[in-house]
Amino acid sequence: MDINSALQALRDPLGVPFFPWVFQLLMVLTFALHILFVNLVVGGLALAVYEHFKGGDFNLRLSKALAQVSTVNLSVAIVLGVAPLLFVQVIYDPFWYASNSLSAWWAMAFLLVIALGFLATYVFYLKRKKSPQGYGLFGVSGLVFVLCAGIIISALSVQALVPQKWLEWYSANGGLATTGTSLYHFEIGRFSHFIVPAFINIGIFMMLYAWYFRPRADADAAYLDWVGRSGAKMAKIAAMIQVVVGFWWLLTVPADLHFMRNPFLWIGASLGLLLLVGLMKAESAPDRYAIPMALLSFVAILGMGTAREALRMAYLGVFDYSIYTYPLNIDWGSTALFLVTFVMGLVVIAYPMTVAFKLGRGTLTES
Amino acid sequence: MYPLFEFPTIGGGMIIALIATFHILPCHLATGGFWMAYFLERRGHADKNQELLDYIKHFALMILIFCFVLGSITGVGIWFASTIISPRAISGLIHTYVWGWATEWVFFIIEIVAIYTYYYTFGKVAPKTHMRIGLIYAWAAWISMVIITGILAFMMTPGKWLETGGFFDGFFNPTYWPQLFYRTMMMLAISGMFAAVMAGFMKDGKTQNYVVKTAGRWGLAGMVLGALFAVWYYFKLPATAHEILASIPYAAMMFKVSLVIGAVMAIYFALLIFGQTPLAHPVVAIPMVFVLFVGIGGGESVREFSRRPYLMPGYMYSNQIIAHDFEVKGIKSEVARFQKDGFLQSNYFVPADWRNINEKNYLKAGMLLTKANCVICHTMEADGRSSLPRLIERIGITAAADLAAYLKTIGDDYPYMPAFAGNDVERRAAAAYMVSIVPNNEAEPPTPAWVLNGDE
Repeated sequence: MDINSALQALRDPLGVPFFPWVFQLLMVLTFALHILFVNLVVGGLALAVYEHFKGGDFNLRLSKALAQVSTVNLSVAIVLGVAPLLFVQVIYDPFWYASNSLSAWWAMAFLLVIALGFLATYVFYLKRKKSPQGYGLFGVSGLVFVLCAGIIISALSVQALVPQKWLEWYSANGGLATTGTSLYHFEIGRFSHFIVPAFINIGIFMMLYAWYFRPRADADAAYLDWVGRSGAKMAKIAAMIQVVVGFWWLLTVPADLHFMRNPFLWIGASLGLLLLVGLMKAESAPDRYAIPMALLSFVAILGMGTAREALRMAYLGVFDYSIYTYPLNIDWGSTALFLVTFVMGLVVIAYPMTVAFKLGRGTLTES
Repeated sequence: MYPLFEFPTIGGGMIIALIATFHILPCHLATGGFWMAYFLERRGHADKNQELLDYIKHFALMILIFCFVLGSITGVGIWFASTIISPRAISGLIHTYVWGWATEWVFFIIEIVAIYTYYYTFGKVAPKTHMRIGLIYAWAAWISMVIITGILAFMMTPGKWLETGGFFDGFFNPTYWPQLFYRTMMMLAISGMFAAVMAGFMKDGKTQNYVVKTAGRWGLAGMVLGALFAVWYYFKLPATAHEILASIPYAAMMFKVSLVIGAVMAIYFALLIFGQTPLAHPVVAIPMVFVLFVGIGGGESVREFSRRPYLMPGYMYSNQIIAHDFEVKGIKSEVARFQKDGFLQSNYFVPADWRNINEKNYLKAGMLLTKANCVICHTMEADGRSSLPRLIERIGITAAADLAAYLKTIGDDYPYMPAFAGNDVERRAAAAYMVSIVPNNEAEPPTPAWVLNGDE
């Protein structure tokens, strides 16, 4: 049995309950949302720790705000991560399951480090009320744990792209590697391309922060100016670094995939460059650019996510694997259940979000 | 079949069970806690009782941390553990219920937005607005239970799904309603327990007494009504589940443990109602959480046991091999195929030089076949949990030829284990490997010629 037919055989015989492109679309969309919040956690924690140790009035205020928001962002990132994880298992099940089975302990360790990172982040935030300068190490460990989680999940995803190596890993040394203790494949370029944007997005987040708190009666203009300007500057520098990282990673992509000729790559890259151009201007008026830059950044993340999906299709096309030929067993009822619930969910969350938004901004009017 | 993962000594199935049991506390609390919070907050505003309101704010924070850190991580943990231990089973469930899980996920999003807003706007917005947000959370969380219970119950009694393959035919299966009502009552009881623990940290006085009594009422109501629904649930279980409960001592014991603990908890809650506020002191209340935990664990392991030897009853065995034809989806039994064409020839994750069994590789191939068939429930170590070599010792079939003959009978004559999925040579190779791992086995080791040609 060769790998091409093995991949076909590994697909779930129950088939998919709706057209595969719908799952693909939802996967790319929800992953973009997930990675945005992961970026905010990584960037937020890194900066919170940095400002914490640097000290100074403004720095500590910002550090506290970022530590607090990191706890929320981490919860949101985890919940948002559930959706792409679900959809990838619908259309790319052979790849995801093989990769995870081969590195089983790492898949478990992934959750352990997230739990530890979460608890450390909570301690970093909650306990600083009592001792503002202490507990910095909890922030550092929170960041390290979250980064470890990123390294593991990135490795598991990359392993999924090289099915030709699986059997070799599994049957190394004339035995059967059923221990799942090895992590086999990791790409630093690809991983960096996920992490550097953390500083773009937390920079934009700081611009939003300045814009958001500005109307409050008790707003400290000097502090908000500082936060907005520092954010815009950081985002700009990080965006420049991201361009370099992007090309570096691109050079490591196997040439026989002809990814350079893929239109989705160039769409994604153009959106990234457009964001960089916007950020160049943003430093002069961070408040005004906050919303446009946030939107543009999300569009760029979506573009990059689409390009990565195109890359995955190129990788797996070598093995004649296409999600579009997945056996269909259409179930209209449950599909409708999800779509209706999804729309309803967006309507429902609008209410608490509006209340929280107005309250924080000092614009809530009620009896 | 995917690459196998072996969890040494404890066994993979037990890992899933441990994570799942732990998950039950935070997940039921996440679904029930806010009904309690809503009830108490209304009272707090009506009485203008700031102490009570402070208590609820703390209560909400603890739910936030306990449920949204440990609850969500262990929830995803069950999923990851299943991914590595039983990938084809989780895949089968996902390919059937992806839209169910995706729908549940929408409610998770509502929950997380609502709970953070609830906590951070506490005391800062009008009571009506605040309570409305609490109520949004409470409904969303309970609906997430309404959804996941369908999938959980499906794993036990797939109902008409086996005939139609339809989402809702499997979802609204024979044990769905009793299980939903039972879990809803348990969520109230667990919320009562949690409220009591939190009340233990309050200063003594009227408010504390009030909270403790309320916690006791919710707890007792949850236990008593939960017990009634559990009886209903019990009678809806298929006959095979009743046989398992009667014939497997461990399952029977767990069943009794959960009954006894249910009674103990009911008495504890009754004492809280009758003014025994000191029993909410952390020294008593925290151990009671542990007692409750063991009771729930007992009940859940009964559920796990009852669906032996299947993961998806009537379709997939616990070792991930498709047991029977599933006509409506055009799926053929893999057991039949592997018995005819051979497991090693039909699967990709087999080292190339093990594919054809010969004199040199038969023990290695036997190991792979044994693990593929058995490792989901049995460990290969003599000192492991549910150890395969010790089981062979206990049933006294330590000669390879006898064991090979025995392996032919499981599945049909002994229905608690899946049928052996492999052809005759493979079955003998597996038997040869199995007897080789029995410590101090005095039976004569099989010859390669027997493995290859057999004389059964």
